[in-house]
Amino acid sequence: MDLTAFADALQQSGISEWMRASLKALPIIEAIHVMAVATVFGTIFIVDLRLLGYRDMTRPFSRVFGETLRWTWAGFALAVVTGALLFMPNARTYVANTAFALKMLGLVGAGINMAVFEFTTLRRVASWDSNAQTPMGARIAGATSILIWTWVIVCGRWIGFTKGYDFTVPKEMDLDFDFSQGCLNCFSDLWLG
Amino acid sequence: MIRIATGVFVAGLMAASFVLPAQAHHSFSIFDSSKTRVFTGVVVRVNPDVNHLQIFFAVMNEERKNVIRDDKGQPIIWAVEMAGSAQSAREGISVNAFPPKTIISVALHPLRSGEPAGDRGGTAMFKCPANTPPPPGKHCDSVEGSVAFGTGKLPTPTT
Repeated sequence: MDLTAFADALQQSGISEWMRASLKALPIIEAIHVMAVATVFGTIFIVDLRLLGYRDMTRPFSRVFGETLRWTWAGFALAVVTGALLFMPNARTYVANTAFALKMLGLVGAGINMAVFEFTTLRRVASWDSNAQTPMGARIAGATSILIWTWVIVCGRWIGFTKGYDFTVPKEMDLDFDFSQGCLNCFSDLWLG
Repeated sequence: MIRIATGVFVAGLMAASFVLPAQAHHSFSIFDSSKTRVFTGVVVRVNPDVNHLQIFFAVMNEERKNVIRDDKGQPIIWAVEMAGSAQSAREGISVNAFPPKTIISVALHPLRSGEPAGDRGGTAMFKCPANTPPPPGKHCDSVEGSVAFGTGKLPTPTT
């Protein structure tokens, strides 16, 4: 199954139909998604500022990290679930959208940045945990994280402005009619009404 | 100084992160509300987008006998965008209500970008009876038996 067929299947699923039919589902789920993303960005931002040496310097990094991480993951999980619900009813449109692809790329980048930090600088955290001056690796990870998450948010918003329009005419659509011929039934072949 | 500059930069990012999500799906400023165009066309497809339902139609000529085609012989397709699919369904606008080849008349505020699409705004949309285009130069609202979706009349075009 290719990506387009997969997107079509998602778009025609029962959940998508429910999203399309409900007046309240979209605004409620969208609001939760925004709050979840704000939680992710807000908690990560606290950690990033600590990594950059701007905030919470009197507290060990491991404590700041430990206290915020659970909220980050909770927010992220909520954002993934609500994001999937927003994605499914318009899946075909989103998979063809550049801003959406760039947002997903940003999420992958954020994951890589976090993994690199965890497997390198964080492993030596005991040596700089309470230091006011954080190591270069920590500062790079913090700055990269802020930039990437800002990128994710901007691309997320940009999706709504760039979903665009698919002007292609379906292959089965015959527009070679001519009402001047008096063909009252010239649409009967495809008339579904 | 570097710390102050960095602080200002970070504050800017924070402000952006709070302001951006507060906007709607897309700003209506992408549409030129000072312009109104009125079309009669043949539905080719309905995209039941959750955020904004879209109807794609081939524009009919002034004689209402055929669709207009470009230099390459391809039909000229326009899209009209409106409220989300659920909200539109409350007005009776759905995939089932507008099957392919339904003749419609609709007013829209065109995109500023020049793309052939626009926002329906709050005006009514009309569906002609099956296989019954309006008389030359007229729209579906003039055809007996046409169905209105939404309230009011078709507005007077500005262009």
